[in-house]
Amino acid sequence: MGKRLSVAFQGFHPSSFLSEETARLRELAQDKKVISAVSGGVDSTVATLVAREALGDRLFPVMLDTGFLRVGEPERVKERLGMSPTSLKVRLVHASGRFLASVRGKGTAEEKREKFRETFYQVLKEEAEREGCEYILQGTIAPDWIETQGGIKTQHNILEQVGIDPASTYGFKIIEPLSDLYKDQVRMLGRHLNLPSELSERQPFPGPGLLVRCIGNVTKEKIRVLKEATKMVETSLAPFNYEQYFAAVIENKFAKGHSLETVLETASEALGLPKSEVHADVFEDRVTGVKGDQRCYGLLAGVKLSEESRETYGWLQDRLRQLQAGIVEKFPDITRVAMLVKERRGGGPLSILVRAVSTRDFMTAAVSPVPWKILKDIGQQVLKEETVSRVYYDITPKPPGTIEFE
Amino acid sequence: MTKIPVVYVKGQYNHLIVRNLKELGVESKLLTPSVPLEQLESMNPDALVMGGGPQSVRSLDHLTGELADAARLIRQARLPMLCICVTHQLLATAFGGVTGAARKPEFGPVEISVIEEGRILEGLKPSFTAWESHNDEVVKAPEGFHVLAKSDNCAIEAMRHDNSPVFGVQFHPEVSHTLKGVDLFKNFLHIVEEHKRT
Repeated sequence: MGKRLSVAFQGFHPSSFLSEETARLRELAQDKKVISAVSGGVDSTVATLVAREALGDRLFPVMLDTGFLRVGEPERVKERLGMSPTSLKVRLVHASGRFLASVRGKGTAEEKREKFRETFYQVLKEEAEREGCEYILQGTIAPDWIETQGGIKTQHNILEQVGIDPASTYGFKIIEPLSDLYKDQVRMLGRHLNLPSELSERQPFPGPGLLVRCIGNVTKEKIRVLKEATKMVETSLAPFNYEQYFAAVIENKFAKGHSLETVLETASEALGLPKSEVHADVFEDRVTGVKGDQRCYGLLAGVKLSEESRETYGWLQDRLRQLQAGIVEKFPDITRVAMLVKERRGGGPLSILVRAVSTRDFMTAAVSPVPWKILKDIGQQVLKEETVSRVYYDITPKPPGTIEFE
Repeated sequence: MTKIPVVYVKGQYNHLIVRNLKELGVESKLLTPSVPLEQLESMNPDALVMGGGPQSVRSLDHLTGELADAARLIRQARLPMLCICVTHQLLATAFGGVTGAARKPEFGPVEISVIEEGRILEGLKPSFTAWESHNDEVVKAPEGFHVLAKSDNCAIEAMRHDNSPVFGVQFHPEVSHTLKGVDLFKNFLHIVEEHKRT
């Protein structure tokens, strides 16, 4: 019995990780000051607490308000991290204007991510200089560098692993205490550090925030609507304990092309429904996916069923799975499929996409079976926004999708 | 302690293999395929696991650097070996089999039918769900290998060498959504333990 238990716990021990990592950090930083980029998320909070064990008051936590955070988030995070037991004195840096300006006119996911990274480190560098810090500490975890190095997507916190030398480019060095860990291990470490569960189990939020959920061009209206939809989706889905759930926004502009004409056929075949009951659109703005370990910046198919079939088919998981796989296998350029939940005729030019997945480590993800009624309620609320005319649910696992859209 | 390095060929899940092995009490780390054989041998590994990657191995003449190195390791290392996804295809191609474009690529969950357990799939009959991500597939297994499993879309999901503990699987046992993947790693460890004793 004893032996089996020890096998089950082998691999990651929070206490030995902590003592090894704090020793390494002391050795690395010597008596230098370190600035720490926090977001309120579990990765950066845990990384900062590990570093504080090692460095004490030579650590300066800052939080950048990028403008792509959720309603009220910067202030809430600053206040929460300031309370016991974290008791971190976080300085809030308002930089939303600079971030918005840097991504203006950038339509593709990678351009936006790269501009975000550039601005992120520029602002951090200025803060590091102000505090006299030589090191920047961040909460990078394994999937961040794996996906960036593999060319799946540029994570904003990855430099060295893609050949950018932070010392010569930005004038500081980077410390990443958690870079070998996965999310579930970071949470384990957080619990070991006595983080309250609202912090250790906090819902993940990407570094570039709503920027990567605003598909295609960034406009103030898209970001505004997205903030509202995010609030509604988070409130409705929080009780279900999915590992990740959120909203994204896309413009109702559709791709045309000979090769896409048969999407409808494939969809009706996969669903076993006559073509008259199925409608398919392919959006023009691209979304990120991964096929065969390779980035696939592809198209998103939106499938609509006639009202009656939609009620019946709402959550026939096997059928939806066949629909998604049938389309993605057949069309190399399509990487994701979403199902229409609700629409408003003659409504505005935007669609809201709802996403919910179960995942242990964020490397693979299964679509969560959100009850159809809940999705419809979300649709009802979101459609009150003038500029939104459709609400979809993404039915793509990872792979071939990714968890986020860009 | 059993020592099993994982050959890193730039796949997203390679690091997860290390995590799986560590959780089973194995000493493991990522290893670049360019490691010279003498250096590998001096580490005294008990086996090798090779991960997946984004490359294509339809022809041995156009391999990327890391896969050319991985092919060298496959031929030279006299160790129990588990090759996953692209290195499963590389294993086939390197020993005279054929890898080509999949008739139907597979992404996400796939039902795997076990033809023969062949030790590595012990306890997994008749079928199990595994996650996959591949555009190419092994079309013809090499001489001296036999096929252990298939799916609706792909005829060779797993294969093993007739007389040595060398295995290839097209699916990803290392991702958490392949619920029985850990059984496959446990089976592999049993095979490695046995090989150590002989």
